[in-house]
Amino acid sequence: MRKPYVQQQRADWWLRNPSYRRYMLREATALPLFLYTLLLMSGLYQFTHGEAAFLGWLEMLRSPWLLALHGLALAAALFHAITWIALVPKILVIDTDRLRVSPATVKLAHQLGSVVCNIGLLLLTLLLLRASGGT
Amino acid sequence: MRRSHEPIAWSLFGAGGMLLAFIGPGLVLSTALLPWLAAGDPQVTYATIGALLAHPLGKLLALACIALPLFHTLHRIYHGLHDLHLRAPRLPMQLLCYGGATLLSAVTAWWLLTSIPA
Repeated sequence: MRKPYVQQQRADWWLRNPSYRRYMLREATALPLFLYTLLLMSGLYQFTHGEAAFLGWLEMLRSPWLLALHGLALAAALFHAITWIALVPKILVIDTDRLRVSPATVKLAHQLGSVVCNIGLLLLTLLLLRASGGT
Repeated sequence: MRRSHEPIAWSLFGAGGMLLAFIGPGLVLSTALLPWLAAGDPQVTYATIGALLAHPLGKLLALACIALPLFHTLHRIYHGLHDLHLRAPRLPMQLLCYGGATLLSAVTAWWLLTSIPA
């Protein structure tokens, strides 16, 4: 067998093409979201140690660093949601004899679902904590 | 042929991606506002979250909100490092990423099941 040809690729291959840069940005959303998940885990850990520990964690969330992480994670989550749902119709293809749904409809349904779920969760948090005496 | 880990890894990655797309921004915004929302009476916030986590469905929800994003993000980080040509031997990297996600998820499940004050 001949030696297989291996195409060389420079490490900065993704820098020179806008769509490759968008791809890398999309993949990079994982980093702040990973750190955010660790923050959630630390909250749960403090919760298991009782009220004082959990309230300490809540106070810690006011720190500028963690607010910055929240801001970054929010931007990442939004960019992730938009790009993820844009890809759904490519994976979820409903095209059988019995049922056909156009890709545009699949995408729109997921976009609507995402908006409703995200706003619903936020409203639920606001309602629950406002009802429980928050400001 | 050696079995690939890819179907399992991709299923968890996909589930995490869907979860993050549907409640990610809302969840991040909720915890960002939490200290201010709870400021009036933090004890009640603690009790509210406690009531949620005391219920089996609440535990399941909390586990999903931590474990699935872990698998999702570590899958992307694993492949992202490869894309950036930061290449390390495959097996240790897989152990670190997928093993790490599994371990952290197991720890989370353990905390939820054994250490939530009633």
